[in-house]
Amino acid sequence: MRNPIADLSIPILDDLIESDYTRSLVVGVVVVFGLLGIVGAAFPDSVAGDLAGIAFSTSTATSTARLAAPIVLAGLGGIFAEKSGVINIGLEGLLIISAFVSIYAASVVGIGNSVLGIPALAVAFLAGIAASTALSAVFAVVCIEFKADQIIAGLAVWLIALGLAPFLSRVLFGGVNTPNLGASVGWRYFAALVVIATLGSWWLLNRTTFGKHLRASGENPKALDTVGVSVSRVRYAGVLLSGVLSGVGGSALALSIGQFVGSGETMVQGKGFIAIVAYLFGNYNPLGTLGAGVLFAGLDATQIRLQQLGYAIPDTLVQTIPYVVVIVVLTLVGRTQIPEAAGEHYETEE
Amino acid sequence: MNPAVHLDGITKRFPGVVANDDVDLAVERGSVHALLGENGAGKTTLMNVLYGLYEPTEGTVRLDGEPQSFDSPRDAIDAGIGMIHQHFMLVDPMTVWENVVLGNEPTTWGGLRVDKEAAREAVVELSERYGFDVDPDAAIADVSVGEQQRVEILKALYRGADVLIMDEPTAVLTPQEVEELYGVFEELTEQGKTIIFISHKLGEALSAADDITVLRDGVNVGTVAAEDVTREDLAEMMVGREVLMEPATTPQEAGDRVLSVSGLDVDDDRGVRAVSDLSFELRAGEVFGIAGVDGNGQSQLVEAITGLRELADGEIHYLGESLSGTTRRDRIDRGMAFIPEDRQERGLVMSYDLTENAILGSQHDQPFARGGRLDWSASRDHAESVIEQYDVRPPDAAAEAEALSGGNQQKFIVGREFERDPDLVVAMHPTRGVDIGSTEFLHDRLLELRAEGKAVLLVSSKLDEVQGLSDRLAVIHEGEFSGVVDPATVTEEEIGLLMAGETPDDDSVEAASLHEEATDQIAGDPTADGDEVDA
Repeated sequence: MRNPIADLSIPILDDLIESDYTRSLVVGVVVVFGLLGIVGAAFPDSVAGDLAGIAFSTSTATSTARLAAPIVLAGLGGIFAEKSGVINIGLEGLLIISAFVSIYAASVVGIGNSVLGIPALAVAFLAGIAASTALSAVFAVVCIEFKADQIIAGLAVWLIALGLAPFLSRVLFGGVNTPNLGASVGWRYFAALVVIATLGSWWLLNRTTFGKHLRASGENPKALDTVGVSVSRVRYAGVLLSGVLSGVGGSALALSIGQFVGSGETMVQGKGFIAIVAYLFGNYNPLGTLGAGVLFAGLDATQIRLQQLGYAIPDTLVQTIPYVVVIVVLTLVGRTQIPEAAGEHYETEE
Repeated sequence: MNPAVHLDGITKRFPGVVANDDVDLAVERGSVHALLGENGAGKTTLMNVLYGLYEPTEGTVRLDGEPQSFDSPRDAIDAGIGMIHQHFMLVDPMTVWENVVLGNEPTTWGGLRVDKEAAREAVVELSERYGFDVDPDAAIADVSVGEQQRVEILKALYRGADVLIMDEPTAVLTPQEVEELYGVFEELTEQGKTIIFISHKLGEALSAADDITVLRDGVNVGTVAAEDVTREDLAEMMVGREVLMEPATTPQEAGDRVLSVSGLDVDDDRGVRAVSDLSFELRAGEVFGIAGVDGNGQSQLVEAITGLRELADGEIHYLGESLSGTTRRDRIDRGMAFIPEDRQERGLVMSYDLTENAILGSQHDQPFARGGRLDWSASRDHAESVIEQYDVRPPDAAAEAEALSGGNQQKFIVGREFERDPDLVVAMHPTRGVDIGSTEFLHDRLLELRAEGKAVLLVSSKLDEVQGLSDRLAVIHEGEFSGVVDPATVTEEEIGLLMAGETPDDDSVEAASLHEEATDQIAGDPTADGDEVDA
C-alpha cells in the first residue's frame, strides 16, 4: 500500500528529506493548516474560525515557539545519542537541570551585570548547557564505560534531576520555585536557535564523517571498530551532544520566563519525554523532529488559548495527544527505523 | 624473491593453551593459499597474529622479507593486510560506497564534510579495475550475500590491501556464488594481490588454492601444492588418521509409512507462498534427502512438518494419523525429533547450561519431570551421556551453551535429538559448522538410526552430504520438487540444474544462464512478488 502523499514530489523537500514517511508528515501538516485557514476564513464565528484565529495569531506563534524550543532541541539531542547506539531517555532530566542551573547562574551574576564582558543571560545560558552536558557525561560513563542498562541509567538521570533541582532551589532560594528574575529572552532568539540547530544537526548527520560514524556505531558497531574508529568515542560524542542540545533547550525554557518552577513535575512537565516521541515520530530526521515538535507544541499552545476563550478542554487530555499520536503512527505506519544496535553495549575485542 | 607473507616460527600461548606451536607459513605473492584445519586447529589464531589482533608469544611476521611488529589491526592495515571476516562487517542501511569508505572517508572542508563524489568515484574505479559487479548506491541490506562479500573485498582494497585474509569465505555462499568468488580470486591474483583463506572444507581448498597448509592442534602438519594431493590425503593430514570420505550406506528395505505429506501449501512470514502443492512419503528405515539452494522453501516445509508453522493447505500424516490440530508438543511426544536450522535461535537456550539444554523438549517426561518438579540429577546424567557419546567439548554439563563453539553446540543438539529414541528425525543442516572428524561420526549415527528402522528427513545445502546419505533425493526449487532422483546414479551437474529449476534433459540450457537464474533467485527481492500476492 503506497501512501499517496508520499508520491507527491516537491523539489526542495525531496532533496532534504529522503524518507517518504517524513515527507508525507511535513506535507500533511501543511495541508491541515491550509484547510484550517480556508475554513476559518470562510466561517469566522465557528469553532473552526476560533481555531484558525488561534492558529494564525502571533501570540499562539510565540507561545508555540517557546514551548517547541525545549522539545525540538532535546529531540535533536536524543537523535545523536540514539543514532550512536545509546538510548537516552534521561532527556527530561537534562532539561530540568539546565533550566534550574541557568536561572541560578543568572541570579548569581545579577541581571544587567556581566562576567568577562559576557552579559548575565548569556552566562546563564552557558551555565545551563554546562550543567546538562556534565550530567550527560555521567550518564555516558555509566552506560559506555560501566555498561549499565541504558534505560535504568536514563531513568536515574531524570529522577536525580527531578529531585536535585527543586532541592537546590529550596536550599539556595528558600522555595522549590525560584523568584522571577524580571528579565527574559525573547522568543525570536529561540525560534532562530531551533532552526539553526535543526539544519545544523541535519547537515552533521547526513554530510559529515562524524554523521557516518555515528550511524555505523548505532547500526553495526563492530563494522566501525574493525575499520579503526573507536566506537566508544563516537558514542561519547553522541551522548554529550544530547547533553549540549538539551542544555540549550532547558536554559531556553527557563530563561524565556526568567524563573525556574520546581513544583510537581517542574516547569519541564514531560517535555523531555515528548522530545523522545518527537524524534521517533520524525523517524530520526532532524527536520521531522522539528515538524513533530512544533506540532505538539502548537497543540499545547492551542489548548491554552482555547481555555482562555472559554472552551472547557481538559489540559491533561490534550497532553496525552503526542503519546496517543505516536502509538497510532508507530502501529499503523511502523516505519520508524530504530538503529539495529541501539541499547546494546559494545566491547572491542582488542 | 621474498615471499609476500612469511610467518616465521609463530607460537601463540593463551593461559593454559598453546594455540599455535612454532608455525611456519610462507605465501608467495600473487598466489592463493588455503589454511586448512579442523575447528580449534589454530587457523584463526594464526591469522589474528598476522592481522595484528594478537601479539605472537614467539616468532616473527615478515612481509616481503621485512620483519613487522603490529600493535593493532590498524598497523596491519597500514602495512597492506586486509581481513574479510566470516560475518561481514557491514552497516546494512548504509550504501555500498558509504561502507567501502567507512573510517577512511575522503573529505573536504578541512576534514569535516564527506566528499561523496570522490568516494563514489574511488569505489566505481576499484570495482571496474577488478571486474566486480556492484552498484555503489545500493543499500547493503538490498544486495545479495555474494555482493556483500565483494563489498568487503573492496573495503580492504580501498585501504590499500596487498594481502587479503578471508575467514571461511564460502560458508555463506551458494554454489554459484562460490564459483564467482573463485573468479574474483583469479582477478585479484592476476593483479598481484595475495590471498590467504581459512577453511575446513577440502573441496574448496583443492579447487581454489595454489598451495595448502594444514594445521592440526596448532602445529603446521605440512604445506602442499593443491595439484599434488587428493581429498583423502588432506583429510588424513587434518584429522591425523584415515577418514572414510563416503558414508557407507547399505541397501535396506524400507518399512512402514512414517510420514506422508500431500498437497502441502505453506506461506512464509510475509504471506508469500513458500511451499506449493508438495507431496511425498517417507518410510521407516529410509533417509529422504532434500537438496536445494537455501531459501527455496526448505525452512517453511520443515517448520510445517515439525509444527512451527501453520499450513495454508494440504495434509500431513504421521504414523498413520493426521497431524492437523496437533501442537508441537504432541509431535515431540509422538517421537518426532528435530534438528533446527538455526541452532542458537531454536536449538538451544544460549544462557542455559548443558544440563538444562539437554532436557529441552523432554521436560514433561520421565525421568526428568517428577510431579511438577525437575529431577536435576537425572537431567545431568542425561546431559553427561550426550556429551560423552557425541564428544562435546568442553565436557562439562554445567557449561552454558553460549560457551561452546558452533560445532560443539551442533553436536550437542544432534546428540540430544538422536537420543530421544525418535521414530522420525527431521534434520536440517545437521553438520553445519562441524569439523570433518565429527561430521563422519554424525553421519555414522544417522545411518545407525536408519538401520534401526527410523525415518530420516534430511535437508542440507551440502550436496555430498545429502547425496551420500539419502536413499531418495528430492531437489526443491521455489517451493516445488523439480525432481526426485536416485542419489546413487545422479550427477552433481544434474542436481545443479534441478536446483536452478531446469530439467537436465534440456541440452539447450547453457551453464551461463543457469548461473544467472540461480543467483537472481537469491539476490532477487521477493517483496516484489509479495506485493502482487497481497493485492
